[in-house]
Amino acid sequence: MNAIINRIKPDDFPILIAGGFVVIILLAGTAYTMTVMGTAPLLTPNYLMTQLQIGAFLGIAAIGMMMVILLGHIDLSIPWTMAAAAMMATSVGGPAAIPTGLAIGLLVGLFNGFGVAYLRIPSMIFTLGVDTVLRGLMVAHTGGYAPQTEATELMRWLASGRVLGIPNALFVWAAIALIIGVVLQRTAFGRAIYATGNKEAAAYLSGIRTRWVIVGSFVVCGLCAAAAGMLLAGYSTRAYQGMGNAYLLPSIAAVVIGGTRILGGSGRLTGTVVGVILIVLLNSVLSIMQMPEAGRQIIYGTVIVGMLLVYGRNAKITS
Amino acid sequence: MNTSLYEHPFVELNGVSKFYAGVRALEGVDFACRRGSIHAVLGENGAGKSTLIKVMAGVVSPTEGTLRVEGRACSFSGPSEAVSEGIVCVFQELSLMPDLSVADNISISDPPRRMGLIDRGAQNRRAEELLARINCEDVDPRMLVRELSLSRRQMVEIAKALGKNPKLLILDEATSALTARDVETVYRVLGELRDEGVGMLFISHRMHEVEALCDRLSVFRNGKHIETFDRGERTQDDIVKLMIGREVEHQFPPKPEPVARPAHLIVSNLAWENRLNGVDLAVGRGEIVGLGGLDGQGQKELLLALFGCLRGVKGSASIGGNNALTLSPAEAKSSARRIALVPEDRKTEGLMLPMSITDNLLAASFSRVSRGPFIDPQKAKAAVAAGIEKLRIKAGSPDAAVATLSGGNQQKVVIAKWLMTDPELILLNDPTRGIDVGTKQEIYRLMRDLADAGNAILFYSTDYAELIGCCDRVAVMYGGRIVAELQGEAITEEAIIAASLNISTARTAAIYAESGV
Repeated sequence: MNAIINRIKPDDFPILIAGGFVVIILLAGTAYTMTVMGTAPLLTPNYLMTQLQIGAFLGIAAIGMMMVILLGHIDLSIPWTMAAAAMMATSVGGPAAIPTGLAIGLLVGLFNGFGVAYLRIPSMIFTLGVDTVLRGLMVAHTGGYAPQTEATELMRWLASGRVLGIPNALFVWAAIALIIGVVLQRTAFGRAIYATGNKEAAAYLSGIRTRWVIVGSFVVCGLCAAAAGMLLAGYSTRAYQGMGNAYLLPSIAAVVIGGTRILGGSGRLTGTVVGVILIVLLNSVLSIMQMPEAGRQIIYGTVIVGMLLVYGRNAKITS
Repeated sequence: MNTSLYEHPFVELNGVSKFYAGVRALEGVDFACRRGSIHAVLGENGAGKSTLIKVMAGVVSPTEGTLRVEGRACSFSGPSEAVSEGIVCVFQELSLMPDLSVADNISISDPPRRMGLIDRGAQNRRAEELLARINCEDVDPRMLVRELSLSRRQMVEIAKALGKNPKLLILDEATSALTARDVETVYRVLGELRDEGVGMLFISHRMHEVEALCDRLSVFRNGKHIETFDRGERTQDDIVKLMIGREVEHQFPPKPEPVARPAHLIVSNLAWENRLNGVDLAVGRGEIVGLGGLDGQGQKELLLALFGCLRGVKGSASIGGNNALTLSPAEAKSSARRIALVPEDRKTEGLMLPMSITDNLLAASFSRVSRGPFIDPQKAKAAVAAGIEKLRIKAGSPDAAVATLSGGNQQKVVIAKWLMTDPELILLNDPTRGIDVGTKQEIYRLMRDLADAGNAILFYSTDYAELIGCCDRVAVMYGGRIVAELQGEAITEEAIIAASLNISTARTAAIYAESGV
């Protein structure tokens, strides 16, 4: 047993623990439904597919968040980047909708990256300000006239359609995760993100262009948020103000539960994916159990803090 | 005056040793100082002076040995306990909080209180009295410390120490930041304090200060107390000899015969802020040029300026005829310049400690192991294996975290990382600090091999023996400029120390003439 534990890399511990917790959530939920209803809906493929489909929006936003957390930064502008991208995409409409939304994400990311890397403003403050400015812009945008909020066909198809019984949103999530996974592991940019997140001074003195790395990560984060926002608009058939508000804290939580160090420097993409699944299932099972909102919040928060405590102990033992 | 009070030592150390993670900073030190006397502590960089005063001021506790205050054995668990015994320290690095007022800073540990709340009026009056004592009436106690010049801040620091009613005042390079006027004032105040029966421990690199001020002198070397004597018992030359010692600790590879070498790097009139004040230097291919001098005379800034880390550098530097000054290390290491820097602190500047040896080795040369945007795992693996092989890095696996390696092997990783970029100018900032003798010798050997292969090496070391053993030429810095260049036989410890202390200008002028600069 110990031999097996020793062979596991420290980075993988959180992933295994989170994965185990996912199984526990499913079993506990099934035990509950078996006693109360006598059925096991949680284990049906259809239920799981639906959960993953809902998880895809959070999953994509969390991948972007992970890129900046790996640097020891944070992006609090995700909610309104999502909303702004979705709202601008729907008001442009037609084939230009998705490129417009992505362009919004790119611009926000560039701006965030510029503020953090060049103006050296702490990311927590700068992105919070950007979030507020975006909200103001969107209010102004909808104030004078009623822009179109209807999601385009393509957006709806990507978010709600299915191919071979698998939700398309899941394909989008998987594709983005695959690309970012390769970027993080196999490109100079990805390795530079880890180096910069570990010790910016050492990375800089190694001749890594740390400012570009920071800007690049924020751009990826903005693009991911924009993609998540547009998918969400497709899923609910329209874009609306405040649509991204429920995604900020879960996206940070998913990254951290997945084992990424909140101060940057280490973490694996698989962990973030598992973290998203954990959060989505936890929410779903708690609502099946008809847990009141207050209880759900308490359990949700306790799980996040509890997981971090467990990881902290592991880190001490392994180092 | 009760003279008997001053005949017995006030603070006495017996057999004190201090080890930092196995590295010896002090070894078996017996030391005593009295009240009513100014006692100088002299020694090279790393001789153990700072550790000595940290032990006395309660900042660190000794690994072995005892400390007695007025004959009583004491063990301090923190500086506040030392202060309550009357031992007060003015530290080299300023300990003031820039965003608090002068009065707040002076009374920070024990502010005057009324009904439990801080009495601002009394606090300001107290600050005014203390500042008046050191002729600093122009400093308003309500001003923020950050609005003051460096010299005034240092004076506030001294006022703060006086406010603690010291019986023994420790001054660690406390005059290094002062203007000439303030130095005069401090001398006067120190004289008055001595007459009042306060003991002082004075650490300074300025020989003439020590000569003018101190009654007794102690020399430290390699963590050991060498000798203590009264002023006037030894000449300046004797003191310098005591500071150097005679032991030969290192084995160095043989140096080649001096030959004229075409200059690869030419630095002229390089200036930055007030740390570099017009540096002129040339380094040829195949040559190891040492940078000597005391800590903080601009050596580090010179290396950083050449590596593109500093903004607003004036003057010029060229490599093979092209401008060498850049605005980032990324450009400095590019194929146009091929500069590498092994930085001062490997733990914070050289390595990403939690990351693997592989990641650290590749950090400066991703583009060399990539195919398009993707890192080629085969190339990366081969490059890492070659780096480990070349420097004989002892590691279980290339995937192990660098933090698990010994200090010497960590430094080898930093050097290997840079050698993978095929540099032509290698800047080394004290690369052998805190590593074992065996690895040091490997590094000396490697430096000579690199030079023989046609690279230019600029090597800053705080260890004079290294400069003498390794370098074809040594440039000694003082006050942000090069005050002496020594070559061949002229590289002796006496000459380096004399130039470092900037005491024998006639002699250094002669050396200048000799080397034809």
